[in-house]
Amino acid sequence: MPLEATMIIIDNSEYMRNGDYTPSRFDAQSDAVNTIFQTKIDSNPENTVGLMTMAHKGPEVLVTHSKDLGQILKAIHTATSKIGGSIDIPTAINIAQLALKHRENKNLRQRIVVFVGSPLQAAGADEREMVKLAKKLKKNNVAIDFVSFGDGIEEGESSVLKSFVDNASSGDNSHLVSVPPGPHLLSDLVLSSAILSEDRGIPPGAMADEAGPSGSGGTNNFEFGVDPSLDPELAMALRMSMEEEQARQAAEEQARQSAGDATVSTERADDAAEIAADDDVMLRQAIAMSRGRDADMGMGDEQGEDEEMDEEEAIARAIEMSMKQDHGEQKKQ
Amino acid sequence: MATAKDDISLLEHLDISQLNCLNEEPQHDLKSILAGKKPNTSPDAYLKSSADAQLLMNIHFNQAVRIRTLVLRSATDPSRGPETLKLLVNKPAISFGDVEEASDEAFAQVITLNEQDVREGRPVALKFVRFTSVNSLHIFVESNQSGDEDVQTHINAIDVLGVPVGATKDLSGLRQEE
Repeated sequence: MPLEATMIIIDNSEYMRNGDYTPSRFDAQSDAVNTIFQTKIDSNPENTVGLMTMAHKGPEVLVTHSKDLGQILKAIHTATSKIGGSIDIPTAINIAQLALKHRENKNLRQRIVVFVGSPLQAAGADEREMVKLAKKLKKNNVAIDFVSFGDGIEEGESSVLKSFVDNASSGDNSHLVSVPPGPHLLSDLVLSSAILSEDRGIPPGAMADEAGPSGSGGTNNFEFGVDPSLDPELAMALRMSMEEEQARQAAEEQARQSAGDATVSTERADDAAEIAADDDVMLRQAIAMSRGRDADMGMGDEQGEDEEMDEEEAIARAIEMSMKQDHGEQKKQ
Repeated sequence: MATAKDDISLLEHLDISQLNCLNEEPQHDLKSILAGKKPNTSPDAYLKSSADAQLLMNIHFNQAVRIRTLVLRSATDPSRGPETLKLLVNKPAISFGDVEEASDEAFAQVITLNEQDVREGRPVALKFVRFTSVNSLHIFVESNQSGDEDVQTHINAIDVLGVPVGATKDLSGLRQEE
C-alpha cells in the first residue's frame, strides 16, 4: 500500500485516433487512466492523482492532485476535443515533476505514469538526453512508469524507453509495459501489470506467475475470461464442466490405449495360429518396410494403398472395440 | 557568543517520520544512520548516494532548535566523504533543481571540508545567528572528496549540536490511557 502522489501523462497526439485498440486508442487510454486512478485511490485514501496531456499545442496540466474521479473524467473529456499535434515527452515529464513537487502532503512519494501511443520525436528520441532526464528523476526520488502501445512499441523506441526506465528505477520502482493491439483491453493489461501490482497488494516478485484471485482483481488468470469474483456460480459451473471434460478425455485416452493393446494381442494370436509365427512376422515386417520405401519413392502406389487400407481397418477395429468398451463401462455405471 | 558547553545533541529531537534524503541508495539511506537518534557508530551502516555524488538530506525536528555545531564523519572511506556542503533552514519542499542553480548567498551557510575533517568527524561551527530557530535543516552535499561527480558519497555519521528553543512540544511520549 504505497503512499503516492501520481501524475498521469496521457498521449493526445493525432496517432490516438487510430482504431487498432478497442474502441479507439484514445478511449482505450481513457479507460486505462480510469483504472489506474481507481486502483491508486483505493490502495490508500491519502493518495492523489493528477492528469496532464503532452501533445496538441504543448503539454498541459488538466488536474493536479485530486481524489475526485469526476475531475479526472472531466479532464479526459476536455482532452478528447484536443487531440492533435505530436508528443513532447521530456517537457511533459519536467512539468509533471513540478506539479508533483507542489503536492500538499510531502509524505507522498512521487510517481509519473506516461502513456506513449505515438512514435518518439525530437528530444524524446534522443537516448542520451532521455537518460540524463531519467537520472534526474532518480535523484529527486521520482518513480516513473511507461505504458507503450500502438506506435509507441516499435523496436527502436522501446529501447529508448527501456533505458529510460532502467536508469530511473531505484529498487525496481519503475516499469515499462508494452501492450500490442489485440482482442484484450488496454486497461485490463495495465491492471494486471507490474505498474499496479503494488497498489493491489501483490508482491513485485509474484507478477511473473499467477496473479491469484484477489478481490479487487478484474481479470486474473482465470482461464475463461470472466471475473470469478463477480459471478461465483458461473465460475463454479465453468470449472466443473471443465473438470468433467478433462475426466472424459482422460478416460477416452485410457480406453484407446487398452484397445491398442487388445489389437496387438489378437494379431499375436493369429500369428501363433500360423505356427511359423516369428519368421512370418519378420517377413511381413521386411515386406512392409520395402513397400513403405517403394511408396516413399512414388512407386508401387497400389500396394501402398493396400497397406494403408489394412492400417485403416485396424484403426477402425480398434475404435469399434473401444466404443464397445465405453458402452460396457457406461452400462456398468 | 554563548559557550558551546551547554550544547546537547539535537538528534533526540528528530522527527524520524519526516526524515528523508534525495539520491540515497535504498539499502544505505539516511534513516539507517539517524533512526537511532544518536550519532551512528556501526561501521556497516552508512549513507550512500546513488546516481552521482550529490545528496540532499532533509532533517526535520519535532520542535524549534538552535544549532551551533554540525558534525559529519566518513571514517570508513574518507576519500568519498562530503566536501562542499550547503545548508538551508526551514525549506520543507526543496529538490535538486532548487539548490543546484542557487547562488551561495541563497544558502544559510556554505561549508568546505577536507579529508582530515571527515575522517575524524571534526565539529564545524555554524553561523549561529542563522540557525536560531530551526524546524528543518537541509544539507545539500554538492561534491565529495574524490572530486569526481560519479563517485558515490559515503557518510557514516551525522550529529547536530545545539539547544532546543523554549518549551518542548514533543508529545510522542504520551499514550492514551485506558
